[in-house]
Amino acid sequence: MLEFQFASLAAFCEMAPHGVYVWPIYGLGLLVLGGLALANVRQHRRAVRTIQRNLERE
Amino acid sequence: MGWRWLHQWGSPRWFYERAGRWQLVCGWLALALLITGSLWGLALAPVDYQQGNSYRIIYLHVPVAFLAQALYGAMAVCAVILFVWKMKLADVAMQSIAVMGFAFTALSLISGAVWGKPTWGTYWVWDARLTSMLILAFLYLGVIGLRAAIQDPDQAGKACGILVLVGVVNLPIIKYSVEWWNTLHQPASLKLTEKPAMPASMWIPLLINILGYYVAAAYLILGSMRAIVLERERRSAWVRELVSRA
Repeated sequence: MLEFQFASLAAFCEMAPHGVYVWPIYGLGLLVLGGLALANVRQHRRAVRTIQRNLERE
Repeated sequence: MGWRWLHQWGSPRWFYERAGRWQLVCGWLALALLITGSLWGLALAPVDYQQGNSYRIIYLHVPVAFLAQALYGAMAVCAVILFVWKMKLADVAMQSIAVMGFAFTALSLISGAVWGKPTWGTYWVWDARLTSMLILAFLYLGVIGLRAAIQDPDQAGKACGILVLVGVVNLPIIKYSVEWWNTLHQPASLKLTEKPAMPASMWIPLLINILGYYVAAAYLILGSMRAIVLERERRSAWVRELVSRA
């Protein structure tokens, strides 16, 4: 059941004849998930910094 | 057992502290599931005898399309909680889910379009399933835009809640669109009530990825909610104390 379905690693990367459709979608998926995760981290950091600045001003 | 388990959800501080831990668990679990499911689907699952390798897009398309709809449902539940119990955290959840929901809806539309090209010969047709998913994307955008347009957070929350509840009518339309109308889109690949038509070596990785994307969505929503809670509670003593310690 768990058998590599391609003749070689090159054939896997080519995924003939549909590699041009499949790979960009997985790339985009990675980009979206990674981008959202990064955006959260930045938003959190920005919130902390803003509050710190306000505290210093008081 | 008392009602504490319910009441503590009313405390932003309680949520902020717990959510950090939940997020860590969800993050690592999602990573493990998504790597396993995606590699299995891309490399180890057998080739489809009709669609060839293009069908491997299913391991992304179906999970994100499920999520796009489930998240809208979750947003509607939050709207009800906001109106009935006036729970602030439900509004925070609504705000976070709208962004993630839009991202997953867009991903499902794009992955579907790219899958459609080699399978149907076209990126897009104006049929019921595709159009109702496009409307879902616009509903998410509407909720995001509405919140951005109203300054007062309480008013914004109420307005978004109403829009979300009105838009719920679209969910059954999406679900039954492939049965009510003639469509290019195939019917559901996985059903709770029936054995899947595909072999186990194909649907097991799909199930792993569905779980993986759900947990990933939980990770993302918790992270976004924590940031929003911090911003909204910036004047409260616990946030000031937390930040000054950091």
